[in-house]
Amino acid sequence: MLLEVKDLEVTYGRTKAVQGVSFGVERGEVVTVLGANGAGKTSLLRALQGARKPQGGQIIFDGEDMTALSPAARVAKGMALVPEGRQIFVSMTVEENLLMGGYMRRDDGVHGDLAAIYERFPNLGERRHMKATVLSGGEQQMLALGRALISKPRLIMLDEPSLGLSPLFVEKLFDLIRELNSDGISILLVEQNTHMALEVAARGIVLELGREMLSGPAAELAANPSLAEAYLGAA
Amino acid sequence: MLLVQQIVNGLMLGSVYVTVAVAFTLTISILNFLNFTIPTLFMVAGMVSWGLAYFGLPFGLSGPLAWPAALACGAVASILCSLLVERFTFRYMRTRHGDSTEHAIPLVSSLGFLLILENLIRIFYGSDSQRFPGPSSDLTTQIGGIFVRIPQLVSFVIVMVLILGLVWMMKHTRIGRGLRAIAENPDAATILGVEPNKIVPVVFMLTGLLCGLAGALFAVNYGEVSPMMGEDIGSKAIAGMVVGGLGSLWGAVAGGIIVGLVEMLTIHFFGADAVQVAVWGALLVTLLMRPQGLFGHNAIGKGKL
Repeated sequence: MLLEVKDLEVTYGRTKAVQGVSFGVERGEVVTVLGANGAGKTSLLRALQGARKPQGGQIIFDGEDMTALSPAARVAKGMALVPEGRQIFVSMTVEENLLMGGYMRRDDGVHGDLAAIYERFPNLGERRHMKATVLSGGEQQMLALGRALISKPRLIMLDEPSLGLSPLFVEKLFDLIRELNSDGISILLVEQNTHMALEVAARGIVLELGREMLSGPAAELAANPSLAEAYLGAA
Repeated sequence: MLLVQQIVNGLMLGSVYVTVAVAFTLTISILNFLNFTIPTLFMVAGMVSWGLAYFGLPFGLSGPLAWPAALACGAVASILCSLLVERFTFRYMRTRHGDSTEHAIPLVSSLGFLLILENLIRIFYGSDSQRFPGPSSDLTTQIGGIFVRIPQLVSFVIVMVLILGLVWMMKHTRIGRGLRAIAENPDAATILGVEPNKIVPVVFMLTGLLCGLAGALFAVNYGEVSPMMGEDIGSKAIAGMVVGGLGSLWGAVAGGIIVGLVEMLTIHFFGADAVQVAVWGALLVTLLMRPQGLFGHNAIGKGKL
């Protein structure tokens, strides 16, 4: 098990955003977290990356307890979060944004990895010295992903990456997720696009008001009538 | 010719404002608060330099080495003082009292530090101006009929080199990028591994260095120090920063020089009494015509660290 979450509890003021959620991500697996707005998905990811202190529970990554570690330490161990809304640095160039992804790296392989990113995303390469604001929404999502990749993660956590993208870019994005996964990177995917998420994931868990409502193999979830009614119909 | 002389003097004086304005700009653009300790740091550097040079303390040095050593000690004192302020105001308030976007707290506590330190020094040394036993004022060279004092020229060059270095650091180093990331989006920066508790002291260290250098150089060039020396410089540097545009390093440079020029030209044409009116008048006119300042952008606002 690469990531193991045990009885995680996250509170914002008086609101219990995540209440005793447990699940795991195997090495090389894609797991998706589904649920309506306010189900606690984003709080869950923020707690996993260390941006939010959990009130209870444990986060174990690669056999090590991460619960008390800083986000910096988690990045160094190989966890990367692509936050909701991409959170690109608009005052920086494309390349500077990517270099921020390598903030915790001490080796000198960063420049080689930049070249690999530009090969994968030629649009970013062409605009490497321009401000990140010149990028389209889809390109900014690629930049956010590239920024996470530069940190050499073993687990990438994606928070609603398809939000606001054109259908064409959504296709591209999910192809990319498959590609990264086949490169051996484990993925934890939070999505509103339930159909696509269950297609790419091996397993899924459904949150409702901070609690686990359902979990299981993606194919089973896709066929589950109560889930279909709640989310798939709307999607 | 006298006018050209005043312009040169204005540039030299402006370089002091530039240094302090850059210090203000760093804190306000990265940490989003007006650091009122800055005038104090400036004063601490001047007073410590004076104290050491006056009592002949620096390592038993004497002669030509004594005053540069005293100046260096003054700058170091300013850096240490700045780190102390970070530890006991900014960091303490931020970690104990949660909401870091409440920038009134660091602002007010830095104002508290300003008053306490200023008055402590006043209690020990009195409020009179002290003559700084610097290099003799006849270290002057003449370039095309214009008199330039060599220490001033050296200061001007040191300041410009320091600021160029700072701009380069912000652009091309890991720490510089980390600082810019924290300035723009602390949340995203933290997620990528930038640690506020490690990088915020860097801002205060740079602030201390800039103010320390400015205070020490001011002491040499104008030959006078007092516990209140930071107030006038501080307020004019703030004016310069706002004229140049909040958040822009080059804006602070331009604004500081403009204030220096306005001051010297006002003295030339209208006398010293008109200086404050001219400087703050120029500020108000700038704000009316261009609220964001000459080089400013509107990114200064909420949601900062």
